[in-house]
Amino acid sequence: MAQVRLGNIVKHYGDSIAVDDVSLTVEDGEFVALVGPSGCGKTTTLNLVAGLLELTGGTIHIGDRQVNELDPKDRDIAMVFQNYALYPNKTVYANLAFPLQMRKTAKADIDRKVRAAAASLDITHLLQRRPRELSGGQQQRVALGRALVRDPKVFLMDEPLSNLDAKLRVQMRAELKRFHQDLKATIIYVTHDQLEAVTMADRMAVMNHGVLQQYDTPEVVFNAPLNLFVAGFVGSPAMNLFPAEVADGGASLLGPEGWRLTLSERNAARARRATGGVILGARHSMIGLHGEPATDRIPGRVYTVEPTGDITFVHVRIAAANVIASVGPDIRLRADDAVWLSFDQNKLHLFDVASGQALRD
Amino acid sequence: MTARSDGLLRRIVRHRADYLYVAPALGVMLLVIGYPIYDTVYLSFFNTPPNLALEDKIFAGLDNYGRILSADSFHEATWNTLVWTVFSTFFAFVLGFGAALALNREFRGRGLLRGILLIPYVISAVAASYVWRWLYHSDFGVIGAISVALGFTDTPINFLDNTTVVMPALIVVNVWKEFPFAMIMMLAGLQTVPDHLLRAARVDGAGTWESFVHITLPHLKGVTLVTVLLLLVTNLNSFTIPYIMTGGGPAGASEIWITHIYQLAFGRIRFGLASAYSVILFIVMMGLGYFYVRALTQGDERRGG
Amino acid sequence: MKEHGFWRLGGKLYLAALVVFTMLPMVWMVITSLKTQFAALQYPPEWIPRNPTLDQYWLLLSPANAVGREFLRYLFNSVWVSAASTVLGVAVAVPAAYAFSRFRFPGRNLLFYSVLLRNMFPAVVFLMPLFIMMRWLGLVNTQASLILTYLTFGLPLSIWLLKGFYDNIPVQLEQAARIDGASRFQAFLLIVMPLSAPGITATAIYSFIMAWNEYVYALTFLNDKDRLTLPVGLQRFFTEYATNWPGLMAASFIMSVPVVALFLVLQKYFVRALTDGAVKS
Ligand SMILES: Nc1ncnc2c1ncn2[C@@H]1O[C@H](COP(=O)(O)OP(=O)(O)OP(=O)(O)O)[C@@H](O)[C@H]1O
Ligand SMILES: [Mg+2]
Repeated sequence: MAQVRLGNIVKHYGDSIAVDDVSLTVEDGEFVALVGPSGCGKTTTLNLVAGLLELTGGTIHIGDRQVNELDPKDRDIAMVFQNYALYPNKTVYANLAFPLQMRKTAKADIDRKVRAAAASLDITHLLQRRPRELSGGQQQRVALGRALVRDPKVFLMDEPLSNLDAKLRVQMRAELKRFHQDLKATIIYVTHDQLEAVTMADRMAVMNHGVLQQYDTPEVVFNAPLNLFVAGFVGSPAMNLFPAEVADGGASLLGPEGWRLTLSERNAARARRATGGVILGARHSMIGLHGEPATDRIPGRVYTVEPTGDITFVHVRIAAANVIASVGPDIRLRADDAVWLSFDQNKLHLFDVASGQALRD
Repeated sequence: MTARSDGLLRRIVRHRADYLYVAPALGVMLLVIGYPIYDTVYLSFFNTPPNLALEDKIFAGLDNYGRILSADSFHEATWNTLVWTVFSTFFAFVLGFGAALALNREFRGRGLLRGILLIPYVISAVAASYVWRWLYHSDFGVIGAISVALGFTDTPINFLDNTTVVMPALIVVNVWKEFPFAMIMMLAGLQTVPDHLLRAARVDGAGTWESFVHITLPHLKGVTLVTVLLLLVTNLNSFTIPYIMTGGGPAGASEIWITHIYQLAFGRIRFGLASAYSVILFIVMMGLGYFYVRALTQGDERRGG
Repeated sequence: MKEHGFWRLGGKLYLAALVVFTMLPMVWMVITSLKTQFAALQYPPEWIPRNPTLDQYWLLLSPANAVGREFLRYLFNSVWVSAASTVLGVAVAVPAAYAFSRFRFPGRNLLFYSVLLRNMFPAVVFLMPLFIMMRWLGLVNTQASLILTYLTFGLPLSIWLLKGFYDNIPVQLEQAARIDGASRFQAFLLIVMPLSAPGITATAIYSFIMAWNEYVYALTFLNDKDRLTLPVGLQRFFTEYATNWPGLMAASFIMSVPVVALFLVLQKYFVRALTDGAVKS
């Protein structure tokens, strides 16, 4: 296993920039998730690490070695592809054996390692089949098996679970996490599903338009997003964001819908740092819904109610703005009920409108 | 950071290894295709001596072109070429499309039938020409015998030695050989017509004819274009059937451009003249070629990689 | 449903008529080839030969007589020229098609379109300059001239066809192979090549059949009797034995057998070679 270090890496495709000056270090044995919306450069970043693409600029280190000029085969990495990329004309056994054969492993060793990998993934009974005779989940395991027969320095995974159905995905998620813990493997894991990132990764790197937005543990990214993009991207449903004006010298916020919210001392201090307007951010769980008005409650009207079983999401309209709050399953609300919203001041987020950056203490 | 858009030269240098893959193909194509094109155009401005000692050729400017365009034989050959190309293409397409429609349905023996109908396309044009010559034989030809037996004529017709019948007779042979191509292309096209559309049309109450006109036909536009273009090109370029069956005769009644060019070049050894003739043909082909490449490469650019 | 039945019946009748049209010449070729020369020249014709004989086939295929030796020579020449141009053609087309499918080098489109355009040029147009060139290269009257020409003329279609196959092989397979320890070339050889085998088969049989049947170049480039390929050989045979129609039909039949057999066995691939690219699903 090894550390992976990206130093200011850049990748251009002709005139367009796919990866823009990304630097990050994946520690030895760490599980890092690379997340971001479609087209933000995740796959490109991974392929750069793998050596499948040539860097336009910057450096990549795996362990102590600078690998910029190395062929993929010499980087000692393994990769799991989104569509698995199993060799369709080879049996499962031959698929697993291929990386070992390419490295001139002795035949007996190959057999032993293939069988061990197959056993650990519970696919021994599939060894003689061809990929097209396997279910999606089985193909996924074979792809994983092909990566781990060789015990490489780094595992690269490009959306390995995105082609599985929801139930299988949850199961494989757990297995992958366990696999990481058992092997202490260094893993870079690309996904656009932030839930996967949050549940599995030690740290997550959020990308947008080729630029690294935030790189930290899931807790920090979730609880202290550095900017509006991260705030809006991480968490489901997305964080509620309301534009507002700073009023009373920072003591309160004025919404364009006419509401006024008095800020706590700490939040007031943050709001004062804003260069112009601010954007108020609140996750659904930080919003309380009440049946009657009080100071610092914002009036709204229930638009629709979505019970999901253990939690009920309530869409509330404040004038034209839509807010999603959540309540326990036993609270009965109906469309067009009048409600009043309150915020947990300790967990409010404030962003500067002009820069999009979070306002810090 | 480096410049955003690299210069062309830079990109060529960066991709230099890629060219190695195409080099052998391009090499032979330049040699066997590129150079001859150049040479044809070049020679078309010269009078070449009949012994093919090309160092003795004489510059003639546009004389060759003038001579060709004003010659009666050219006008006759052009008319024949037009008749030959248009009718061959039309009948080959109609016959083939009909067969494709009839075959576009699962039934027992369909693969076998398709195979049988395709045979004329794969056998050699030389063999086909001789077989048809034998069928058309003035004294012992089976077609003559059949038409007498059925009472169409009193005596066997001399198909290949009659200036009015020879062209239709040759076109029949050509259609026989080419309709399978149209069939297979159109069949492949038919198989891409989405089933759900046809089913939807049926649900909406469309009969066989309506769904054919409103769903199937519009879907076949692209294939039809490519097929017709390829047939036109093949027919403009036919050589073997007319050359072997009649050699352009009788009295030039089946002479088309290509056989005429061959006759000029290798019968009368007038390479310069024949080259000018080729260039004219060339220009016609380029026009068709433009549409062909366009029809064929639509959508190719959407793929990246 | 009634309307449906009407169209179906029409289709069946149409196909039946077409089969008669298609088969009649071929059936008559076979029937004639089984007749004696005397029986062939009868009016009205003998529909079924009264004394069928395989004499013509023995004559053509037996090395014991001059005609047979000559004919076998042509047959062998045809096999050699077709096979050589097919193998070389595929060898040249494969890397080119792969590059056109995978790489985005400057000039790619231009080159690719010019490759396709070649399909538009009549063979005869190239005949004179090629003849001059072959003379200059000293290749006139050699089979090398034919092999070179056929392999080149087959290239546009081969490249186009193979490119279609490579386009459909996910690039991730090669990437996986390279990560698994293969070099670029090994990834191509061990992963991509086996997957494109159907494409190569399709290309190869198409090229083979085209080369086998080609006439005008063989006619122009070759004049030494020992080097002729079958189509020209057949013509020569016809001029020498002008009235031996059974012999000519037998020769035509023998000439057709290899391509028809090849075609029937590999029909799927051949059809693919014809239609691929022109028909997009
Ligand atoms: N071969 C290429 N040529 C040109 N542009 C490309 C190429 N590959 C990717 N791009 C562009 O680079 C950007 C990043 O692509 P990339 O595949 O890395 O995105 P991604 O984050 O993996 O997206 P997804 O979640 O959809 O897989 C995109 O805008 C894409 O259009
Ligand atoms: Mg991706």
